[in-house]
Amino acid sequence: MMNRIFDSLIAFGNAHLMQASHNKLAIIACNSKSTKFLYPSMDGTSRSYHNRPGQYDMFAKVDSDVRHGLGELILNDMTDNDSTKSDSLLGGAMARALSYIHRVQRELSLSHQLKPRVLVVSGSCDSALQYMTFMNVFFTAQKENVVIDCCMMDTDSGLLQQGCDITGGQYLHIPSVAGLLEYLLWVFLPSPSCRSKIVLPPPTKVDYRAACFCHHKLVDIGWVCSVCLSIFCKFSIMCTTCNTEFKLNRPAIVPAKSKKRARIE
Amino acid sequence: MADEDETKEYRWESGYEKTWEAIKEDDDGLLESNVADLVARAKRKRAALKDTGAIQLGMMRHLFVVVDASACMFLQDLKPTRFLCVLKLLEVFVHEFFDLNPISQLGILTTKMKRSEQITVLAGNQKKHIEALQQLKDLSCEGEPSLQNSLERAMNGLKNMPAYSSREILVLFGSLTTCDPGDIQKTIKSLKDNNIRVSIIGLAAEVRICQEIAKKTGGTYNVLIDDHHLKELILNQVQPPAVAGSMEASLVKMGFPGGSPIVNDGTSDSSADHAPAYCLCHIESETSSLMGPNGYNCPQCGSRYCELPVECKQCGLTLVSAPHLARSYHHLFPIKPFIERAQVRETTHCFACAKLFVEAETNVYECENCNQIVCLDCDLFIRETLHTCPGCASDPVTAQMKTN
Repeated sequence: MMNRIFDSLIAFGNAHLMQASHNKLAIIACNSKSTKFLYPSMDGTSRSYHNRPGQYDMFAKVDSDVRHGLGELILNDMTDNDSTKSDSLLGGAMARALSYIHRVQRELSLSHQLKPRVLVVSGSCDSALQYMTFMNVFFTAQKENVVIDCCMMDTDSGLLQQGCDITGGQYLHIPSVAGLLEYLLWVFLPSPSCRSKIVLPPPTKVDYRAACFCHHKLVDIGWVCSVCLSIFCKFSIMCTTCNTEFKLNRPAIVPAKSKKRARIE
Repeated sequence: MADEDETKEYRWESGYEKTWEAIKEDDDGLLESNVADLVARAKRKRAALKDTGAIQLGMMRHLFVVVDASACMFLQDLKPTRFLCVLKLLEVFVHEFFDLNPISQLGILTTKMKRSEQITVLAGNQKKHIEALQQLKDLSCEGEPSLQNSLERAMNGLKNMPAYSSREILVLFGSLTTCDPGDIQKTIKSLKDNNIRVSIIGLAAEVRICQEIAKKTGGTYNVLIDDHHLKELILNQVQPPAVAGSMEASLVKMGFPGGSPIVNDGTSDSSADHAPAYCLCHIESETSSLMGPNGYNCPQCGSRYCELPVECKQCGLTLVSAPHLARSYHHLFPIKPFIERAQVRETTHCFACAKLFVEAETNVYECENCNQIVCLDCDLFIRETLHTCPGCASDPVTAQMKTN
């Protein structure tokens, strides 16, 4: 099953490279232990690529690098017995992707403009503890005009939905993993500029309610600390994040005006 | 050009600066590496100066911008005229301001003919301000400005704002004189009593009363050198200022509309939320827009609005969405500056952008928490735009949020 998913991803990457000669590709993988650049590989060792006769060299390179990198990543995960439990480090992977885009844009800025986009293929659910990282990544992407698309297998992710909405990308929750390649090629291969001409799955309405810091449940009306902007569901005397005491907003007690008697002189 | 420190040393009072001595040739007689080094140092210095550490910052800001529209603004020392140059930069400022401070409010005043006029009221809507600024281009600049009148007017607008917000006035002053009806010291005193911070940007030369106002109210006073410097000075005001400590903190009630999303299988949700309704933001204009299911409903009173953030006209509740608040969170968790190191043999690539380190790059930067190495450009990118260290985010121990 995993093999099929990797095959689909490599095929999708190669399809993107095939679209135009100046298209560029980078693949980053992450799990709960680390993140890794699969392509372009940071190894420095040049491996010999077995390319079939007639196959474009770069496709063979992508194929070989990705499989090798994934193998290393999975092996590292299994041998490392560190007991720190964490969610999948998607935020870190996206941050590295944005830095890479920034670097490539800078190197090419004199010749021509890139139209960068990031496709996140994931099956993990939301990690509340990485909220800050995700939000920073989304706002940076919005600022740098990077479109973030998301292809979710298995579960839904509210955070990634918000990210796709903020940056103007496409969010898709796949009903069956067997058809992964088909969904990728249909929805995510066209660039954002021509998406308006294609019939795509309808946008999902994003839930923009905030989660309160005390119970992590979504609130409609909340109390916001004016110093650190943390959200609470109930009025309280002290903010737990920044430890400031709050002034109770009592209406000003106006002393009863004593009636002034006009002095008749 | 005035210095900002207390000793007030002017440039002509200090000794000669022999700037040519900073440039040296290296062994081959080439200047290139030296120039690149200087450029890199300048970049880092600028980025490092902005790192203020975790001081209390005023997040909810109510800012009045006072634009001098007197006769001297038609001078052409800033192209095309001072007035047009300032208006253009203010449009950029408004955009960046609402980008970085989404729950703040802005108002615009002008001063000319010894009076001050209000162009826009304090509002959180970006488009109205930008439209008003564009219409101001046709305004004729005449007469003399009045500092006191404009400050009094701004103060009247800010007096009634809640105590937990940061009250500020930004004055773009191009004249060397001011024509005031009364004693400006009284105005300064009441500004101070109301905790209003006044920052002034002078377009001509240093004026003593401006220096005094800025100093007494806790703001800054700068005089520009050229139009790039003016842009830098104006954009410096976009960052939330550090609070002097006299600001009262309180819990503000806010609403988060955009609640229950439409379920994907086509059945509509509670009918009130998604039925077409007239929105309250356009109800006073002649073409009131009838919204489909795409608006936001105030959770307290149910009125419909097209965009957030907005203050509900019906019940007074401030409506925001969670990303608006999250935009300001990065100020509260600043990244510690990276340590500069000479190139290390083991790491061949920058962690963030996978760039190969070449011999010419002498310095690489290391994060204290995760010990990952990044190059200079990634360091600047992380510090100015990303606000998260990719190394810390890629490490299971440090990726968890510190506040929880």
